[in-house]
Amino acid sequence: MGREVAESCIDGVIIEMVSAYGRRFYATKPELAAHRIEAIGYQVGHQLIERYTMERPRFNDHLEVIKFICKDFWQELFKKQIDNLKTNHKGTFVLQDNNFRWLTRISIDPSSDNNDGSQGSSSEATNLLLYFPCGIIRGALSNLGIPCAVSADSSNLPFCSFMVRIKA
Amino acid sequence: MIACVAVVGHQNNPLYLQSFTGADDALKLHHIVHCSLDVIDERVNNPKRSVITLNESYLGLLYPTESYKVYGYLSNTKVKFLVVTTDLDVKDTDIRSFFRRFHAAYVDAVSNPFHVPGKKIISRIFAVRVSGIVKAFAPGTYG
Repeated sequence: MGREVAESCIDGVIIEMVSAYGRRFYATKPELAAHRIEAIGYQVGHQLIERYTMERPRFNDHLEVIKFICKDFWQELFKKQIDNLKTNHKGTFVLQDNNFRWLTRISIDPSSDNNDGSQGSSSEATNLLLYFPCGIIRGALSNLGIPCAVSADSSNLPFCSFMVRIKA
Repeated sequence: MIACVAVVGHQNNPLYLQSFTGADDALKLHHIVHCSLDVIDERVNNPKRSVITLNESYLGLLYPTESYKVYGYLSNTKVKFLVVTTDLDVKDTDIRSFFRRFHAAYVDAVSNPFHVPGKKIISRIFAVRVSGIVKAFAPGTYG
């Protein structure tokens, strides 16, 4: 009974949201923009997980939950599964996506490749954008009863890895 | 006949409570719902004593009193759905399909971006849908 929209609409909304929070609302305070974007992702993940776990039997342990996120949840959101999952068995998981769908639309500005440490605007936008899926993962896990902290790393686009640290 | 339905959050906070008897015993129904929460906690935390497997969402008959029966259902996000019914013989399949529809209506209500997670559900559409599901529930229709 669901209605469908084109995926480019989602891309457009996300890119515009990141740019609005990063450049207009909190232009002088990037940490606040990041926090806000992550909070939006948190609510989205929170609500999405209700829908996607509806038919499933309940989970037994944390590993099953993380596997669900890597397989079914990622499949629903990005039409593919997580390519690699690593864990240290002490509550830290690293989810690696070799071709993160939302980053495929980011253009890399070749002229901002200077070595003096100045941040190109493209990587800043990428960092802000990555707060959104971090929030989604955090919202999804916390609604399943697992409080955690999620951070993203995208040293070479479109490869992207998310580190999930479960709070004990 | 279904006397009351309830949705309780994972911190045992009430999210939705609706009684369909039209009488003044709403308080008694709320009390019954509250007691059933303890039964749910007991079932979930002591899997060895209960017959139900750990993974099942539908918890079955929780709490038979002299005039009511309480059925429970636990979602993956630890949200509890409870239904208090006055019928004496209710088929398992009927109650399961009722909970499935109830859960679907709840998911739609919670997906509302204006709904604050943890606060009560104030959506009128959800109330209408739940009333519709309750009215359509009649034992033996799906037999």
